[in-house]
Amino acid sequence: MMSPESSIIRVVVGLLYPFILLLGFYVIINGHYTPGGGFQGGSILASLFIARYVVFPVEDIDSEILHLAQRFVLALLLLGPVVLLFTGAVHAYPDYRAAYLTLMDILIGVQVGFGLGVAVLRFAFFKGVGESWRF
Amino acid sequence: MVEVGVILLMAVFALLAIHSTLLRFAVIYLAIFSLLAAFLYLLYAAPELAIAEGVIGSGLVTLLYLSALKRYRVYTIGFIGDGESRQLTDRYISGVEDSAALAKIKDFFQRREFEPQVVFVSRPLEDALSDPHFDLVISETPQGLIIYGPQDSYAVVELELMFRMQGAGAGIEFVRYAREEAQ
Repeated sequence: MMSPESSIIRVVVGLLYPFILLLGFYVIINGHYTPGGGFQGGSILASLFIARYVVFPVEDIDSEILHLAQRFVLALLLLGPVVLLFTGAVHAYPDYRAAYLTLMDILIGVQVGFGLGVAVLRFAFFKGVGESWRF
Repeated sequence: MVEVGVILLMAVFALLAIHSTLLRFAVIYLAIFSLLAAFLYLLYAAPELAIAEGVIGSGLVTLLYLSALKRYRVYTIGFIGDGESRQLTDRYISGVEDSAALAKIKDFFQRREFEPQVVFVSRPLEDALSDPHFDLVISETPQGLIIYGPQDSYAVVELELMFRMQGAGAGIEFVRYAREEAQ
């Protein structure tokens, strides 16, 4: 079932790969100035997982570890506002507001990117009915 | 003004996606639909939504659909050209694509909700038969078509039956071969 893909796809995706990565981080980090933000940038990062799967369909990323990392980042994401926002730390130092927003955007971006990446990898390497399929 | 044009185009592509018989085309039409939706969001001054729609709608979801199609529904038919020349010119390929026999075979699989995909190869027959990617191999000879189907496939039996019942089996010969197990 796993076939070596055509060289057109391989070369084009290989060329675009670093630019997609750059665009993803750009959208995340500039989220509070320009359109975009954690969710959009995270989806762009997740598309890297799919691009990699399209070119190189080998299951060598452990989606369990990704899932664990994603849950850890989710915990940080919940903890951040509780510690920084509700205690009034951000309001006390207005100069650090942009840093706080950027930090939150990065956390959301990593969380969404890993989450969608895990979903995609689980779907792509799903070993269910497909294995013994015959018509 | 531009918005109206984009909305009309979206309607056109949505209808195309619904009415196309090949699922692979429908997926591509849906991707174009999503791209137009992203452009429409941009026109209505919602760039954040445009980014999300562009990435998720036409990127992630399209690739998910394609990988799903790749896993389950595609029935790959290898077509080997006439023995001596093996020249796969454009005219030859479009002639074969328009032929009645191939249209009938495609229709057979489409009715069973499969996605027939014809691949034209210029390889020797044994090579194509041992390739696990081909579910069916058709070889054209001066006498007519020879269809090589794996022994454990019920689809080939039904296909043979269909051709025989319709009396259209003249010049079409069926050969069964033992397929080695996929890894």
